[in-house]
Amino acid sequence: MLRLRDIHKTRGAGSQRYSLRIPRLDLAAGQQLAVVGPSGCGKSTLLDLLALVLSPDASGEFSVELDGGYFDIAALWRGNQHDALARLRRQACGYVLQTGGLLEFLDVRGNIELPRRLLQLPMDGRVEQLAAHLEIADYLGKRPNTLSVGQRQRVSIARALAHGPRLVLADEPTASLDPANAQRVMQLLVQQAQVSGTCTVIATHDEPLVRSAGLAVLPIDWQRDADGGVTATLGQWR
Amino acid sequence: MRIGLLLSLAWADYRTEARLSICAVLALTAVITPLLVLFGLKFGLVSTLTERLENDPAVREVITLGGGRYRAADVALLSQRADVAFALPRTRQIAATADLSRDGGGPALTVEMIPTAAGDPLLALAPQPSETQILLSQSAAEKLGVRPGDQLGARFGRRQNGQVESRQLGVTVLAVLPLETFNRDGLFAPLSLLEAAEDYRDGRAVPRFDWPGREPATVGSRVYPGLRLYAADLDGVESLRQHFAASGQEVATQAATIAQVRSLSHNLNLVFWLISGLAVAGAFAAVVASTLAAVERKRKALAVLRLLGFPTAALVGFVLLLALYSGAFSLLLAWLLYAAAEVSLNRLFDTGSGEFVCQLLPVHFLVAVLATLACSVLAAALGGWRAAQIEASEGLRDV
Repeated sequence: MLRLRDIHKTRGAGSQRYSLRIPRLDLAAGQQLAVVGPSGCGKSTLLDLLALVLSPDASGEFSVELDGGYFDIAALWRGNQHDALARLRRQACGYVLQTGGLLEFLDVRGNIELPRRLLQLPMDGRVEQLAAHLEIADYLGKRPNTLSVGQRQRVSIARALAHGPRLVLADEPTASLDPANAQRVMQLLVQQAQVSGTCTVIATHDEPLVRSAGLAVLPIDWQRDADGGVTATLGQWR
Repeated sequence: MRIGLLLSLAWADYRTEARLSICAVLALTAVITPLLVLFGLKFGLVSTLTERLENDPAVREVITLGGGRYRAADVALLSQRADVAFALPRTRQIAATADLSRDGGGPALTVEMIPTAAGDPLLALAPQPSETQILLSQSAAEKLGVRPGDQLGARFGRRQNGQVESRQLGVTVLAVLPLETFNRDGLFAPLSLLEAAEDYRDGRAVPRFDWPGREPATVGSRVYPGLRLYAADLDGVESLRQHFAASGQEVATQAATIAQVRSLSHNLNLVFWLISGLAVAGAFAAVVASTLAAVERKRKALAVLRLLGFPTAALVGFVLLLALYSGAFSLLLAWLLYAAAEVSLNRLFDTGSGEFVCQLLPVHFLVAVLATLACSVLAAALGGWRAAQIEASEGLRDV
């Protein structure tokens, strides 16, 4: 579904330089994997590239096959076709942020429904179903700022899955939770993604947690170069 | 991208930030309301003054000075002009008097005779007299003690071959004119009566009244020394003045009074535009600042919207809508406040004549609405542009 070859992203210069290298990454429908590495190693950069919100440097191959359509992401970025990327994003992608990323001016239901409304999908009970599975059905009418961090994360997961995307990305979804809560939220995310056959990529520093959830793990290795900058490289299956 | 979704999202955000929204509305209202009142006063004052001028026929009168020579054909030509409402020749002033007395003697009153005809602007409400009917001024009617319908004797005298002789004509008082129409002793009669009096005084015969003299004047040969002339409107006064000046005829007009009101209107316009320019510049800066601040504040929310796949145009629209909501509410509030100010100002300056010192037409409101919304969008455009620059990957991870 997603195919990346020799995709690089560099930020900064000199000793502030940070480079991410992705020699090879293929994602298939229903696949679930975790990207593991210490904080600041480039997990977020990788997820932002996959979420089509960060442009790769001009090199390599980055393509998406979706419902029989083929999209050359690298070319879309080169052509500054931001609205085409936005369209792919809202159709194919769900993103769970570390801090929820909920819109404070909408209630929980409004937040979860937003991706469906954006795609003009019917309100067919999917939102209520997800809310029930994620144990947040009682909070649908509440504002996000009245919820606990764990509840906010579950709302965020519901929003990422609400429109039935092919790809769900989660960036440290459990980092701000206590271990018991973290385990529960991780479980729910993996379960719900599995139920809908969604390809899932979870970035985390907590390898035991994702292993206990049964995910394959991709490491990110990093090294300091002679110029003081950092080069991180996405590893292979381990 | 559905407009309805964008409207409801922006509205939800606007409502959530109710306090800031109210501040923005009040700031705009504080600019729009005084401008509405100021413009209402300017428009009300100028239109009241202009209306007064237009409703007073004396302002539109063009009086020929010195001796002129006009034939009936000249006057007919003059009344064809678009800028002329009424033109009627006058007979010589010295021949245009009559000694009025009540039937059965009594003291005689010498009055001016003024020719009139259908369409006379001075006598818009009065009935039209026929040859032996007259309209009497109020002062003359009071001195003679007559009322409409009474009979009077009008005596015309002449000196011929050293002898004083006179003839009397029975006339009917058709109506008494109010003081504001004519404030001297005078009568309004058809031109033919004044011509008869002039002929008799010139020693000519007037066969229809059986007055003796030389053979009567031939039709069309008469030369009139002056005119009763009224312009069709205020602009006509100036164009008629120029017409007469070009032919060397001096005239007296109210052109100076009209020019005064015109220049007052012009100067008030300048003052209004100066004040509104300053006020709008201030309001513009306020909207720019509040929109930029809003974009900074909502950076994360905007980044999330972008992450969810909102196109750039929708993000810009989101920011512009916030400014438009403020514009719309401040217009509503300003309109309510203006309405209250208009009522109290008009009550304060009430002259009882049905004139309004402060008033606005629907088209003025329409212009205010369009200008406010256009300014809001324009001022918010910079914020919108900044919102469009926000990348989904930035700001997402700020807590």
